[in-house]
Amino acid sequence: MANVLEVKELSKQYSKVLAVDRISFEINEGEIFALIGPNGAGKTTTIRMISTLLTPTSGDAIVAGHSILKAPEKVRESITYLPDEAGAYKQMTGIKYLRFMAGLFTSDIDKLNAYVDRAKNICGLGDRLNDKIGSYSRGMIRKLLLARAVMTKPKLAILDEPTSGLDVLNAIEIRKMIKKLAEEEGMSFLLSSHNMLEIEFVSDRIGIISKGHLMVTGRSDELKERYQVPNLEQVFERVVNENEVH
Amino acid sequence: MKFINLLKKELSELINKQMIISLVFVLAVFLIMGNVMQSATTEMVKDANNPKINICNLDDTDFTNEMLSYFRSNNTDINNITLTDNDYASAFKDNKNLKSFVIIPQGFADEVLAGKKPEVLSVSKVQGVSAFSGMTGGTDGTISLLNGYISLKLAEQQGVSKDDLGIIEAPLKVKEHTVVADKSAEISSGTILTKVLMQNMILPLIVLILIMMTSQALIASISNEKIDKTLETLLSTPVSRGSVITAKMLAAAIAALLNAGVMMLGFSSYTKGMMGSMTSDVANGIHTGVTDNVTETATSIILSGDAMKQLGLTLGASDYLLIGIQLFLTIMICLAISIILGALVNDSKSAQTMLLPIMMMVMIPWIVTLLADINTMPTAAKLVIWAIPFTHTFTAMPNLMFGNYAAFWCGLAYQIVFFAIVMFFALKLFKSDKILTISLNLGQKSRFKKSKKTNED
Repeated sequence: MANVLEVKELSKQYSKVLAVDRISFEINEGEIFALIGPNGAGKTTTIRMISTLLTPTSGDAIVAGHSILKAPEKVRESITYLPDEAGAYKQMTGIKYLRFMAGLFTSDIDKLNAYVDRAKNICGLGDRLNDKIGSYSRGMIRKLLLARAVMTKPKLAILDEPTSGLDVLNAIEIRKMIKKLAEEEGMSFLLSSHNMLEIEFVSDRIGIISKGHLMVTGRSDELKERYQVPNLEQVFERVVNENEVH
Repeated sequence: MKFINLLKKELSELINKQMIISLVFVLAVFLIMGNVMQSATTEMVKDANNPKINICNLDDTDFTNEMLSYFRSNNTDINNITLTDNDYASAFKDNKNLKSFVIIPQGFADEVLAGKKPEVLSVSKVQGVSAFSGMTGGTDGTISLLNGYISLKLAEQQGVSKDDLGIIEAPLKVKEHTVVADKSAEISSGTILTKVLMQNMILPLIVLILIMMTSQALIASISNEKIDKTLETLLSTPVSRGSVITAKMLAAAIAALLNAGVMMLGFSSYTKGMMGSMTSDVANGIHTGVTDNVTETATSIILSGDAMKQLGLTLGASDYLLIGIQLFLTIMICLAISIILGALVNDSKSAQTMLLPIMMMVMIPWIVTLLADINTMPTAAKLVIWAIPFTHTFTAMPNLMFGNYAAFWCGLAYQIVFFAIVMFFALKLFKSDKILTISLNLGQKSRFKKSKKTNED
């Protein structure tokens, strides 16, 4: 299976803090890869570098054959990014928002309409799409943003905490949606989350990051077996604690 | 196509229902204020052009009656006031519109005829503290008429003719000349300055409104995107950061122009209300009797058009083009500064604070150029004022009017250099990581630390 993302020795140094230290991993086509780690571990910085929002201090990442350093515009054509706790333009109606965002990916009206129709089906907001986003609940906004993130069928969808702040039912719905898109449409996902249950349910492979280092990668059952623990939460605890000791 | 999409989104955010309602409200306020000012000035001009004197003639002798008849024959209306039990307030109760009157006491004529200085009483009612409440209805005009009449009578007694009396009272004929650069005209410098001030009042106000509106719009646009995290989403789409910032700048400029246009419409109706009644009445004909200072000044200003041309104080098409270029540059500087300030914002409170530096940069040169001549200031103060780029916008019109082209071009060159430097840093900031990581939460140390930590996650 071809790699959609190949991260090579990626590092990011803020003035005095080394936020990400030479991390490397790859994501295959149709794969859901979850990046997990404690607060301040470097998850968001890594995701922002792959999304071309931040420039790496060293290293590179290849997204669908394009380097984030050499061809950031091409990378942005192949990805979509949903930031943690992202909002949408409150003055716009849901449908206008989808049309606006689709218009940033294509100038072809037919393609644009197809993107918007797809988003309408995925988000399931029905007539509420004609209301202003300011009147939406948090769950509705998240569904709208997720639909926006996948409407263009990107090669790689990067979702930072996709279900944060959502109730159980909404979170389940979104997890199912992600899984379905990967399985049926071959879309690849890079997720970040603090919810181990969610990670275990939705992801194919996991990477645990701590203090800017990617400590371990593997499938959920592989990791549990390697650390001889019954669940992912304990794997996470062991890995992070081991890094603290070192 | 993608740029148009971005521009449409920015415009729809800036030009929304709230903005239209606020513009209509501002326009209505100006129109109401204009009407109020018009009624106040109309009354003032009416008083000046149709003198009506209020006199309580307690003397009631042939001399005083003859004096009042003389006034009447010179087109002056006389309102006879009567007092009840010597109570001055009673006069105002009986005449609701009465603001002041003069009492000619008993024995007035005897004292005049005896060559003494008779006493008259001036009674005025204070009915408010507004700027215009004290400008009309005084007794100066009445007393001036009385003085004139008595001087005439005394002169006649001494065998002095009316013409000779005129010479005694004002023995000098003053012809005022004003020189601007190498040109001169027969007009008082005061009149020229008032005319120039009236003409130059509008441009600084347009500049002020444009700068404030543009900065506010752009700072809010960038800071809202940062606060709502929509900026991250936007910058991760296949559009260049240059297009994003250009769309924001253009939309802010369009919204500001719309705001400024509506405000100027309102402001011109307000000034028309204030000046219109005064100037039109004066232009119709100047009263030969009592002419107060306001009317005199307005008359000379109206008649000063030719003198302005003679002195080269009128602006040609090329001058207006230069002013337009400078205005454009001013807006560009303002937009460039706003990008930097907007990027520093991380919450809605600091978004409001960020407007302060621009406000200071506009208000200081505006007030200074309004009240003082920068060239006469101490060198250090002069340099500080000139270092503010907007100073050169406020001095542009006077510089062109008075032929100080060197000063104008120096100002323009300084603004171009200033804009290039600020825009370079603004674009560098917007195209770098800092647009997402930088924050300046003034007075909120703990929150600053928190946001920094989050950015470094």
